[in-house]
Parts: sequence; structure tokens; C-alpha cells
Amino acid sequence: MRRRFSRGQLRFIAPGRVRFLLVALAVFAASVLYAQYQRTPPDFGESYSFPTPTHPEPDSAWIHSLDILMLVAGLGLAAWLVLKRRSRNGVMMLSIGALAYFGFYRKGCICPIGAIQNVTLCLADSSYLISIGVIAFFFLPLVAALLFGRVFCSGVCPLGALQDMVLLWPKKVPQKLDRALRWLPYVYLALAVMFAGWGLHMKLGSWEIRAARRFLICEWDPFIGLFRLSGPFYMLAIGAGLILLGMFFGRPYCRWLCPYGGILSLLSRFSWKNVQITPDKELDCGLCAEACPYGAIRELRADRATCLSCARCYDSCPRHHELRKEALVQVKPS
Amino acid sequence: MEPPGKNADTYTVRDRFRKSWLPIAAAVGAFAGFVSAAFQLRPDAKPVSGGAPRAAEPFAPQQSSGQPTLDYELQYSKSVVIGPPGSAHQFQRSLLGVAVGPKDEIYVLGEDEIKVFDSGGGFLRSWKVLQGAYCFTVTADGRVYVGALGKIEIYNRVGIWSGGFPAGEADKPAAITALKIFRNEVLAADADARYIRRFDQNGRQLGVIGIRNNTGNFMLPNRWLDFDIDSNGLVTATDTGRHLVTAWALDGSPVSSFGKFGMTDPAHFVGCCNPVNLALTPDGKVVTAEKMVARVKVYEPGGRLMAVIGPENFDPACTHIYLAVDSTGRILAADPVRRTITGFSQANKVGRSQPLTSEASPMDSQKREEFNIL
Amino acid sequence: MSEKSTRRKFIDRSARIAGFVGIGATAGVLARRVSGDHVYQVDPFKCTACDKCRTSCVLSFSAVKAVNDFEKCGYCMLCPAYFDVTSFPDEKGIPSGKVCPQDALKRRVVGKEDPDDPNNNYYEYVIDEERCDGCGKCVKACKPPAGNGSLRLEIRYARCVECNECAIKVACPDQAIIRVKTPGMAPTESPDETKVL
Repeated sequence: MRRRFSRGQLRFIAPGRVRFLLVALAVFAASVLYAQYQRTPPDFGESYSFPTPTHPEPDSAWIHSLDILMLVAGLGLAAWLVLKRRSRNGVMMLSIGALAYFGFYRKGCICPIGAIQNVTLCLADSSYLISIGVIAFFFLPLVAALLFGRVFCSGVCPLGALQDMVLLWPKKVPQKLDRALRWLPYVYLALAVMFAGWGLHMKLGSWEIRAARRFLICEWDPFIGLFRLSGPFYMLAIGAGLILLGMFFGRPYCRWLCPYGGILSLLSRFSWKNVQITPDKELDCGLCAEACPYGAIRELRADRATCLSCARCYDSCPRHHELRKEALVQVKPS
Repeated sequence: MEPPGKNADTYTVRDRFRKSWLPIAAAVGAFAGFVSAAFQLRPDAKPVSGGAPRAAEPFAPQQSSGQPTLDYELQYSKSVVIGPPGSAHQFQRSLLGVAVGPKDEIYVLGEDEIKVFDSGGGFLRSWKVLQGAYCFTVTADGRVYVGALGKIEIYNRVGIWSGGFPAGEADKPAAITALKIFRNEVLAADADARYIRRFDQNGRQLGVIGIRNNTGNFMLPNRWLDFDIDSNGLVTATDTGRHLVTAWALDGSPVSSFGKFGMTDPAHFVGCCNPVNLALTPDGKVVTAEKMVARVKVYEPGGRLMAVIGPENFDPACTHIYLAVDSTGRILAADPVRRTITGFSQANKVGRSQPLTSEASPMDSQKREEFNIL
Repeated sequence: MSEKSTRRKFIDRSARIAGFVGIGATAGVLARRVSGDHVYQVDPFKCTACDKCRTSCVLSFSAVKAVNDFEKCGYCMLCPAYFDVTSFPDEKGIPSGKVCPQDALKRRVVGKEDPDDPNNNYYEYVIDEERCDGCGKCVKACKPPAGNGSLRLEIRYARCVECNECAIKVACPDQAIIRVKTPGMAPTESPDETKVL
């Protein structure tokens, strides 16, 4: 889809001129319509020149294009690192890079999780418009999930990257509890969609609730307070709590709260390529299942719905290391 | 986490932390970030401290509420209202000026039209004028001069356009905010150039009034200059930035001035730029209108306050109250927010207000009906 | 390595195709309503300077600042946004109190200066953005009829983090936070002309 970059290009070609034109147009329009009050101001004589009011411009168009580019590159790189290169270190490096760029540099906004709301609102109300960036951020990770599994979660999502980084001493969650908690993202998704598209109108006899449209996901985002280094206390508290939890129970937000993760897990069930822990033979040693902090290995296979493609299982597979050593031996001329 | 084959017993706690330096560092960093965000420790997170000197004794202007005006020498009461909501000739969009014509007829400029009412408020006739008209005046024989940006247009007494001339220079058109006719001269207030221009009937500029000031012309922060001229040719003009009512001779020499800023004394002018409008009564008294505290006051020529028509009569959002005075001394005040024209006639000194009828002549029954329709 | 049954493969493939088709269709519907870049900005005609801009921004030092439109400003000596006109006047008659609690509105004489009579001078008013916290007291004081309405609250994009949903927009009681196309200039014409009068 060709994006209309005309405004961005104009700014490159004649930045000062366009801005002056807009200001002149605004002043002209104002002076025509405010006939009684806004004519030429008095000339103060001497050397006074009107200060030009500064209007710092928002991020130019090209940074949003750069974001999309980085997203595509990140998804592609994650897919390659997880499926082809099978490198835990590579995925970790990528996730640190994603945390730095999408998290701290772009301050975590706009993200695919929030994009659910924009898409809902645009579909629910035809008077709303949407930007290309939001469309790209919503759909590209879904396409990647259909192709390669949850590679977005592995190396591109800054929230996931942060939780992955603080994972200190992973404990296993009992499977029944895990399965129960895995319903929560869909509840959150339903609430977020309802509030983003329609708000809440509920009548129970004489008792009525009316709530306007809100972006719940944005208002309850756990880590955006950290990325901005500013925020209301409740958001910071929830974020700190999830970090604390994440030190022991790997990626709690990703597994049990993230609404976009809920959508991704539905789609990645049918992915074209998925994580194959052992490169060829299965040893039935079960070391991968021990190593996986997210409980995503079922019957010694990666469960496509819950596997977050973190590549830790490769690190623990003896067959993977044997093949690596053999490859090294072959290369060395000894 | 541990590579396979390594004996778990020999794996000490220190080894574990050596391997886990990254998650520990990340967690510590994250907590530090949350704490600093909670306590707003970023350098640009707080404004530079330093408050402003607060007033020692704050007080509010005294006379803004509906205080009775029994203290003043003159009392005024409403005698006619033109254009209230629901009336047949209500102004829908704008109201820009009022003037008195021959036989004390009330001329009103609004939404590109001039409407003429008789002194009792009965509608007589109306006609369209040019778009963008700011002000107008009526001669003794009923001709109407309308001022707009850069030009003055003339209409005859039945409303046919009968001429006009440009005002100001091509690159600096005159923003004409008040017009008065004196003998065979046309005086136009130019709010952009900030002086009053004098033209002859053909549009040739004869001179200017208002440039012999200390620091250049009238000060008009609200971009509006209003004036009136009496039968002797003395021009009384508003100098809103200086809170002055100034008097000039026709040749431009300053004669006198009065007025000062003040929020409490009713004789002073409130706010940043007042008085916004001005008119002269036939006996030489000065009627001023103010904004912010929307009121109309009557002064003696020397500056002594004679009467106050309080803010309860006007909409508080008014930025102007256009004024005109008819031959009986009745003050016509046009409220552009409510889009009504109210006539205030002098009441008895004792304070008893007259009934709501015109003072000019006893109304016959037909006129009274017209008034009721309004 | 496990072998998937052909039935499982068929289910997978058809689900994938259905997924792609669904994504493509939704993206196509949305693509018809694509707009250019939009950013949040304060509509000065709806804003009532209620102080929520200062407190609701996700940044602790709000991205909303007051700006002075110099074309509209009257350059008054007695600026009602600078001076608290209800405060006790000093011996020269100039009010002693100031409106801005952060002392962010700065004034200086411009043009020909009359050193004897301050009433004779024009003054330029500029906001110091390092001090202004977006409370809007000056904006409220400058609104007509007291002033010309040249001061207005504006979202400064050098500070704004451009949230998906502006928190001030959620809190604003007058729906004054609107979306405008970049470069994000506030609307300059009042929707109702008669309001000006």
C-alpha cells in the first residue's frame, strides 16, 4: 500500500516555507474572520519585530515509517534467530535492542496491544480514521504469527523483553492453575474491545452504569510508566509488582494478561513453521521441559499456542549441543 | 539454565548469581526506574519553583453587583428595548452599532443591514449595506455613512447607495471603527493607524487628530477607537490603553483628558483597556461604556461621575456596548451579545423610575401596540 | 521430530489461509479510512482553562503550556493575565499581585519607552516554558471581555510523548482536546462568529 508521504516530503523540500505558509494562512484566516479585533497590531516603531511564536513540531512522518521498518526487521530477525539460527543469545540481544528502541526510545507507544483499541474503534464507528502505522503494528505481528509463531513476543515486544530480562529463578506454575489463568487475556481482550468501541451502558432495573469510550489497555499498561519515567502511582505500582513477579514466574503479563497475546496464541496454533526443539533426534531426556520457564513444552513438543519463542529450550537440548560441536570440529582443520 | 551434565551439587549460590547478573541488573534498574518515576526525580519533571508576589490584601471591585444607584446625581431607567428574543426584528447574528437620526429615529447596524426604528421602538424600514461594515453614523438629513476596512460608503435616507470613498492608504487601509459628520467634514476613527482622520465630502483627507501625544497616537490594545463630536467641534475620544477620555480640537491640538485605571472606585475604568465606547449628550455630558464590568457611565465634561447604569443591564461577556444619545438625552445602549438595544432615560432624582414608555412624546395606542409586539 | 497427519496439516493450512484472508479483509476495510498524521491539540475555543491540563498529563510536568498569540495580543500595560486586577494597587495604581503562580509570564517594554509614565508604554508578554505548568490561569484571565484572548493553552510537541489516547482528553470536561493534522496547529477560527462579538 502506497503511503502518501507528500507532507513529509514537502517538509524535506521546503521546510521553512511550508511552515511559514501555514502560519501566514492561519494569520490571514484569523485576520479576515476576526475583523473587529485582529487587524494589524500597532507598530511600536523603532526596531521592534514581532517574536515568531515557536511551535515545536511533532514527530515527522518519517519516524513512523522507521517504526514500521524496524518492526518488520525485528520480526524477520526474530523468526530467523528462533527457527533457523536457533540461538538463545541472538534472541536475547534482539529483545534488548527492542526494549531500547520500542521501549525507551519510542516510549512504548504505539504498540500492537494498544492498536487493538484503535482497530476496534475504527471498525465500530465509521467517523473515526486510523493511521497506516497503527494498521501495520496491529497486523504485521499477526501475519508473522501465522507464519512463524509468536516471534513478536520473543524478540520484538518491549514489554515481553523487559519481563524476559528480569527472569531470575523461574518456578513452575502448576498446570491446572496455568490453564485457568490463560483465560484471563481473553477476558481482558473482551473488556478492552468493549470499552474502546462502545463504552459501557448497563441497566439492571433502576441501577445504571454509563461509561464513555476509554482505552483501557493504555490506561492500565504496566510498563509504560517506566518507559516514560513518569506516571500515576497505580500504574507504576502494578508495573513494579509484575517485575517482581516476573523474577520468579516468567513473563506473567505475557502469559496471563496480554490481550494481544491472546490473539497471537489463537493464530500461532496454525503457524506454518514452529519451534522444533531438537534438530534431528529426540532423546526423550526432558531437559527442554525443565528449562522452559513458561511451561510451554507439552509431551516434549513446543506448544505452539503458549510457546513464546524465547529459544531457551535450544540451549538445554543435548542434541543441539552435540551437533554444534560436530559442526565446529568439522570446520577446524585438525 | 545449567548446561546438561553439570553436577547440580557443585553449583554454588555465587555461581548462580554470576550467571544471573543480567536479570538482577535488569530488575534493579526497573525498580529504580519505577521509584524515580513515582517521585518525579527527572530534571524536567518539576517546574522551576518561584511563585509570584501575592497581594497583601486582595479585594474585589466594589460595584459589580446590582447595587442601587441612588448615590448618583442622575438616575436612569429603561424606557425601550429593541430586539429582545422573540421579537419580530430580532438580530440573529450580529449587532454592530447604534445611532440616532432625524426625529430621534433609532438606526441600528447589524448582520449587514441597517434597520430604522422610531423613538418608541416601532420598526420603520431596513436596507442592506456592504459586508464587513464596522460602524456608521446618520446625518441630520437622514443620510447614512457606513465605515468598513479601508472605505466609507454613503446611503441616502431611503437606503440607496449614493457614493463613497476610500480611506487610508492602499497598503494601510483605515480600520474605521467610528464615524461622525460635522458640518461638511467626515471624521473617521482609524483604529489601525490609531488616530482620527478628517475628510471632506469628496474623500480628500484634511488632517488627523490624536497624533500629538507623548508616545505616538492613541493606545488601543483592544483595536477599537471610538469618539464623538459636539456642536462646537470638540472631539471627545477614547484612549483605551491609557484609560483616558481625551478631548481634542479639530485641528488636532489636545484640549483635556480625564480618567484613570481602578477596579474599585466606580469613577475609574476597570481592566486593561477601557472605556471601549463613548457618546456625548446634547448638553455636553460624556457617556462611556466599559467591558469586563459591563456598564455605562455618565460624566461631566470635567470628569466628575454623574450616573452609573450598572452591569445588571448588560451581558457580562460584552466586549463593546455601542452608544448613541438622542435629542432628549436618552441613552441608547446596544448589547452585541444579547443583541438588544436598550434605551435609558433620565429618571427623577429621588429614584422613582418612570413606567416603561417613551419619554419623547405621549404614545398613542397604535404605537403602544407596536411596542408590545417588540 | 513428529509427523503430522495429513488431516492435521489440512486443518492447519485451511486455518492459516482463513487467517490470512481475515487479516487481509480487515486491513482492507481499515485502509479505506486511513488519514494522514494526526496529533492531539487543544481547541482554544472550547478550552475553559480548568487546570486539568496540568494534572492529567501522563508526564508529571505537563506537556501543555500557555502560548501568546502576538498578533492578537494587545500589549497592554495592565495585562489582566499578568496582573491580578483584583489585588491591592500600589501607589502608582498598578495592581500588586500577579496571576501566574509560577511567575512564568514575563513582560518587557517594547517600542518607544516613556520612562515617566508606565501607562504610555506597550509591553510584550512571553511565557517561560521552563516555569509554565499549564494551569491556564493566565488563559482564563485573558479571555474576552477582559482581554483579547491571545493567550491559549497548547500541547507542545517537544514534550508530548504522543500517547495513543491522550489522558488529558479523557479528563477534559469541555472536549477541548481534538485531533489535528500535523504540524499540529490549533484551530484559528471560531466555529461561531457571533461568539466573537
